[in-house]
Amino acid sequence: MTNGEVASVHSGAANRESMLLEAFGKRLVSVHTMNWNEVHVHARSKEDIPELCLYVRHELKGKLATIICSDERRVTGAFVLRYAFGIGGGEDLFVIVTARVEQGDSASPPVFPSIALLLPAATLYEREIKDMFGLIPEGNPDKRPLTLHERWPEDVFPLRKEFELRTKVANAQNRDYRFLKVEGEGVSEIPVGPVHAGIIEPGHFRFSVLGEIIVNLETRLFYTHRGVEKLAEDLRLDQVLLLSERISGDEAVANSSAYCQAVEKVAGVQPPPRALQIRAVCAELERVYNHLGTLAGLSTDVGFAYGAARLNILKERMMRLNEQVTGSRLLFGVNRLGGVGVDMPSEKSRLVKGTIDTILADFNRIVKLLRNDSSVMDRLRGTGTIGPNDAEEMGLLGVAARSSGLDIDTRRDHPYGGYRSITIAPHYDTPRHITEHEVEMANRRGDVLARFETRVEEVVNSVNMIDEVLWDLDSDPELLVPVPRETLKPFRHALGYAESHRGQTVHWVMVGEEPDSLFRYKVRTASFANWSAIEAAVLNDIVADFPFVNKSLDLSYAGNDL
Amino acid sequence: MKKKDPHHDILGDHVETDKRVLDRARSAPNFRGDVAFAKADARPLDPDLCRQVEEVCAPRAIASREVDGRFQLTLDKGRCIMCGLCEQAAPTLFEVQSGFARPVKRRADLVVTRQSDNAPYAPELSHEELGKRLSEKITKILGRSLAIREVDAGSCNGCEVEVAALNNAIYDIERFGVHFVASPRHADVLLVTGVGSRNMESALRRTYDATPDPKVVVAVGACASTGGIFRDTYATSGGIGNIVPVDVYVPGCPPRPEALLHGLLLAVDRIR
Repeated sequence: MTNGEVASVHSGAANRESMLLEAFGKRLVSVHTMNWNEVHVHARSKEDIPELCLYVRHELKGKLATIICSDERRVTGAFVLRYAFGIGGGEDLFVIVTARVEQGDSASPPVFPSIALLLPAATLYEREIKDMFGLIPEGNPDKRPLTLHERWPEDVFPLRKEFELRTKVANAQNRDYRFLKVEGEGVSEIPVGPVHAGIIEPGHFRFSVLGEIIVNLETRLFYTHRGVEKLAEDLRLDQVLLLSERISGDEAVANSSAYCQAVEKVAGVQPPPRALQIRAVCAELERVYNHLGTLAGLSTDVGFAYGAARLNILKERMMRLNEQVTGSRLLFGVNRLGGVGVDMPSEKSRLVKGTIDTILADFNRIVKLLRNDSSVMDRLRGTGTIGPNDAEEMGLLGVAARSSGLDIDTRRDHPYGGYRSITIAPHYDTPRHITEHEVEMANRRGDVLARFETRVEEVVNSVNMIDEVLWDLDSDPELLVPVPRETLKPFRHALGYAESHRGQTVHWVMVGEEPDSLFRYKVRTASFANWSAIEAAVLNDIVADFPFVNKSLDLSYAGNDL
Repeated sequence: MKKKDPHHDILGDHVETDKRVLDRARSAPNFRGDVAFAKADARPLDPDLCRQVEEVCAPRAIASREVDGRFQLTLDKGRCIMCGLCEQAAPTLFEVQSGFARPVKRRADLVVTRQSDNAPYAPELSHEELGKRLSEKITKILGRSLAIREVDAGSCNGCEVEVAALNNAIYDIERFGVHFVASPRHADVLLVTGVGSRNMESALRRTYDATPDPKVVVAVGACASTGGIFRDTYATSGGIGNIVPVDVYVPGCPPRPEALLHGLLLAVDRIR
């Protein structure tokens, strides 16, 4: 990849541009491609949003990646909505539907047409936009607040520009938050959280049960809402990088890589090859230690402490390796704008290879033990099932999607950074193995066992990928290219994306007017897209199965709540 | 395949918490732990450099001001997230050490001034040594095991990863008589992580109220101590101290397991 490629345009973009122009013609203000693979479609009227989104979804086979709202009233006189869809399957394109929403008069709040009933995956984004910007999604059936809980006043919107970051908003009258009530003889409710029994993050779960059977589950989150996006508008670009690592501590590398990528695109710079390789190695180290932790958690939750203890030993070894290589047990501080802050000299390379190979050997033995234990396998099999259609409708990502038979992976569908030259699953490169993989994907039933197996497979693949990259590290020792933070063009924007161990994370940045600042930072981690899956997965299972169904999906509360 | 040494067989029945391993288990030489003032140097501070390094610090842990005509530089270890940017910007002023930042009982003790001498750096205790002391102290003061309830009041989950690590077979904190319990009603200590988010405020307060006296609150990490990088905003409280009284502060982002153990050592003192 040369520097020139960042500026040029993806070969498939022109085709999509003309398809869109043909279908919508005069209803579009413009169609243009920027940042190599982002096709931006500007609708003349916000009323065309639903039709455009449906077209991109069904005709162009786009998958909703994120919905971005930004308050550009002071600049262009309106709020701007951007619906980003990713097109994978060897295409590597993003189509971004853009529309303006005028402020309107003070008596009536600004509104935009909801697409929640057409694309259920959009429901939560719209509720978030309503809370944070005060734009009303007309037609979204769920009118409850999401991000800001009931004591937040109804007419204060944190992401509007006039809202000052440090404002301490007085508590409003407690608004009622209504959970869906299941009525009937023998149905009872179990409220759980936000403070849980284990060492985990806060969230509220409301079960409606008939005896042991869960007939409905509603999750309520955003207890860890820390105002990440608003805070980013008050920080310098290199400080936002530190913030991005702390969106969800255990996916620091993935989130900071996505952020760096977005800023690097805006700046038109490409980090040196060695830096991109090191980013990829650290991202895979992150995947391995987290998958080990999740598998250990699964083992705990089915009551098999022996397996959990063994897997946690491996996780701890990985975290020590992280520390020795990068100076942080959670891989904080790996990324820098324009490259990386840690090198992988040959002695560290050897250390990594040696350690992960031993871990892999031990891991395989533990997995064999778990697979041979019928009391573990019986618990996992057929529990917490998410069918492929549901997974598709809800827009699931990452391990959860792959376990339900959706063959999606940002590392392959939208190759970024070092992944442009890495084989994602090294043992799938012969026709026979590809066929075997297709059969395997078709067989994945979306239950806890499938997610268990997907994770096991990914640990093996990641270790192989780390080995592959470390053998082939670029000999040019350059690790950083300068990013001209002070002189970036105001309002330039770009998407950055990465595949964390949970799935695709998408970060969108728009440069601010002040030098070295952001106008808007929109983050969507995989957890935000995957949380709704838990409500579907546990239906008709028993309450005691909930903890490990939850664990098998490995969702981050902090990554969701921001 | 080479026959495996039984001591390294993951499914073998050896003791993974081998004392020899843990006695050696101190932080790696390149671990980004405590940030301290670089070795004192007699020259007066350069105000420009101070202001520059102040700008660099995202959680605003560094502050400089003029006191009685002399320039003064302070570092708030409660805010510090150990990113090391200050060392890069001003290696003559700051250095990142490989030992972890020490937990303290008073918020004010986390703020250090360059003019005063750096406290002599006590050699870092290994996990095993810390655990032994903790275990003795628990037995002496409580005569039973110490019960901890962990509360996430808006963290990024980094601290949770480290708190959970205390329970793995290597740190294995239960052998020192420390037990994580499922309910605040069974707890002596509340181990609180996170910024004290607005949405967790009432839940944290109610958890505190549900904990029987005598109780001790440990603020874990930069966020719980001061708000850390998330600071004091519409969504955060600038540290859990603004919601419940705090007895011990454990700096770090996140604090490593040894630092947490050190924090518990101080916490036990506060049980009266």
